[in-house]
Amino acid sequence: MPRYILRRVLESVPTLLLIVTLAFVLLHLAPGGPFSADKPLLPEIRHSIEARYHLQEPLWRQYLRYLNDLAHGDLGPSFQYRNTSVNQIIATGFPVDLTVGLSAIVVALLVGIPIGLNAAWRRHTWWDRLPMALAVAGISLPVFVIAPLLVLVFAVQLHWLPAGDWVPGSLSHMVLPVLALSLPYIAYVARIVRGSALEVLNTAYIRTARAKGLSTLRILLHHALRPSLAPVVSFLGPTTAGVITISIVVETVFGLPGIGRFFVTGALNRDYTLVLGITILYGTLIILFNLLADLCYAWLDPRVRL
Amino acid sequence: MRLAAPRALAFTATALLVACSHQADPLLGSSAPQITVGTALAGSQAIARTLDDSPRSLDPQLTTDIPSQRVLDDLFEGLVTFSIDGKPSPGAAASWQQSADSKTWVFHLRPDARWSNGAPLTAEDFLYSWRREVDPKTGAGYAQALAPIVNALDIALGRKPPEALGVEANDAHTLTVHLGAATPYLLDLMDQTYLYPVYRPAIERYGDDWVRPGNLVSNGAFMLREDVIGNRITLSANPFYWDAAHVRLRSVIYYTMPDRAQAVLRYLAGDVQFTDSFAASQRPWLKRTLGDQVVNSPWLGIYMLAFNFKLPPFRDNLPLRQALILAIDRAALTQYLKFGMYEPADTLMPPLDGYQQQHPDWAAKTQLERDALARRLYREAGFTAEHPLRVNLSTSVQGADERHYMEAVAAMWHAVLGAEVALDETEFKVLAQNRELRLLPLFFDAWIGDFADPVNFMQLFQSGSAFNYGSYANPRFDALLERVARDPDNGARYRLLEQAEQILNADAAYIPLYYYATRHLIKPYVQGWRSNVMDRNLSRYMYILEHQGR
Repeated sequence: MPRYILRRVLESVPTLLLIVTLAFVLLHLAPGGPFSADKPLLPEIRHSIEARYHLQEPLWRQYLRYLNDLAHGDLGPSFQYRNTSVNQIIATGFPVDLTVGLSAIVVALLVGIPIGLNAAWRRHTWWDRLPMALAVAGISLPVFVIAPLLVLVFAVQLHWLPAGDWVPGSLSHMVLPVLALSLPYIAYVARIVRGSALEVLNTAYIRTARAKGLSTLRILLHHALRPSLAPVVSFLGPTTAGVITISIVVETVFGLPGIGRFFVTGALNRDYTLVLGITILYGTLIILFNLLADLCYAWLDPRVRL
Repeated sequence: MRLAAPRALAFTATALLVACSHQADPLLGSSAPQITVGTALAGSQAIARTLDDSPRSLDPQLTTDIPSQRVLDDLFEGLVTFSIDGKPSPGAAASWQQSADSKTWVFHLRPDARWSNGAPLTAEDFLYSWRREVDPKTGAGYAQALAPIVNALDIALGRKPPEALGVEANDAHTLTVHLGAATPYLLDLMDQTYLYPVYRPAIERYGDDWVRPGNLVSNGAFMLREDVIGNRITLSANPFYWDAAHVRLRSVIYYTMPDRAQAVLRYLAGDVQFTDSFAASQRPWLKRTLGDQVVNSPWLGIYMLAFNFKLPPFRDNLPLRQALILAIDRAALTQYLKFGMYEPADTLMPPLDGYQQQHPDWAAKTQLERDALARRLYREAGFTAEHPLRVNLSTSVQGADERHYMEAVAAMWHAVLGAEVALDETEFKVLAQNRELRLLPLFFDAWIGDFADPVNFMQLFQSGSAFNYGSYANPRFDALLERVARDPDNGARYRLLEQAEQILNADAAYIPLYYYATRHLIKPYVQGWRSNVMDRNLSRYMYILEHQGR
């Protein structure tokens, strides 16, 4: 196992390098520069700023310089937010994304798995049809519709919860964003669990368990749950990285200071270092969560060998 | 939709404020608003405002964006500051004199002016800050704004050292400014963010990090408490501010909300009391539900389209330019696509006290007459149904509202003239670069006045100006602007500028669309602000009345 992990980590280095290189080249190829502005800079001032960011050097040298800084953990200064480094932006924003994203995944699992198992056990009853219909609705309703609706109902009309903002440690500020973010994933998880549980419940060993007179709860939790989860895990690998990173809409609607928004505005503003920094972070996350998913998979299904 | 209902009665001890009349020398005294005797102030004097984006930096010399400006206006104070009406009023300087030829100004700093750490604020601080602004090494965002000061431009262009700047600190509290030419709008320049003083020891000690909370030392009514990147900036009252006795707010929070719909929701939920803007499409229902809390007032800015005078098809084609100007029904556009938020424009210069707007001849005609005239001019320009005008209109991606507006403009040109104008939408950075390189024949342009003087708008069309993206050139126009630069008398200058604008009208130099307007939502219990054409509302003057609910 440790050997496997080490191999996967080493394998991810060239992948990340490829991501960095592609992103670096594409960003510099994009028309418009970071310092094209509403009020054009005087030439001398422009030179001085460009020199500060090493933009006058040949591209290959800028690239090597960036890689060197990266190897030292320095993602460079932001081009657009002067006085602010990309490390500072990520250090402030990423914990927010991580907290909200992981909470949403946990909620999706805690709610989605029981609904899916229950639906499979009582298939073709209302316990199955209603949640599955709701799940389809949950998957198809985009978060940019759900999120403002949640704010309107729970914050503006009822005043139960804050409409937005981020106060570290405050649960009430987390409820609505986590809910908005997790709703579609609750639906996905419920549908996936139902599908795989249906298969598992038809297997011989479940029939045997039933014939032995075991209780429903025991059959579901002890015998059906673990094998039913394998497809959820393969789903979660890439999804978790996605939930943490692509919650831009949720960030915007609830005024969360995450980095998703900086990723978008950074690209629009040609903030090279900011976009590169976040790209590297996202790439790392996706690689990391895929690795975790593979490890979980092996744990859930003894037939899988690493 | 219902307004936020009163929740639990959030009553706090109310302070019955007994206003002390402040009848000192108007130049020396506070310009804070007087509160009538018997006005009940809320126990908690705190306000939350919104910003449309994260401020680019809190370094006054580096930024020119509006979100930064909002925060800097509360943190710092120039020699001159904004009154509650947005007019220049004594700030760090209590008084000033100018020489007979108006080329030398002497500013007298307040002896009691201090930094937020208690250190005295001196003329030397201003000298340092202004040299820093024009020094190319600083990388300032708008150093050319200091051009009226002797040698400023040469320094910014790297031809002279920063020490050559025409500013002297005569003693701790006297600053002399030498100008290359009389500059009647100098006071309007002095209250700009890029001329705010910065605290040298903090910059030398912390470098780029000098703007972080704990490091940043400022001289305005508020000081920096907290700065959560992308979320909020919290300020608290600065006890060392010279007029601290008249500052009622104890804290100001600026929330970054790039999504305007979110700002509206947060306002409705009662989280913020003063928002910076809302989308035009939301105006009708906001007006219905919030009434007077929706504040739209003239803002010194113009939204327009510009021609390139060096490129076909507009080069040497006056009738074509005139035809495009005429064939747009501005009233319909602002009414149906901007929901009455803005006023249709027919001049470059928005309304400003003392300046006579120069409406072109066509302004008096009906739209039907304009359309008929436009068709005639279009034919005269050499275009027909078989051989229509084909050109791209370059704009930046600004969302569906803006796109619909531009599509409607192109549709009007098609309906009235048969012209085939295609929208070429690019990211703003691309538009800005192409504009700067003078590559675009027809493009979106806009200007919000840096200061309340028509010359700031006319310079957009001066030969050689960095902002003259259409390469417009008319020697008579340039000559008038030269004369304006030499004339210290505002009345005479304004008459010359009016003549200059007439030349722009005759040359069909640009396509006016609408004048900008401020777009705030302000809770009725927030007092101490007035709409003004500069849209500068300093928190220093604001206070919160006792109120129920949110």
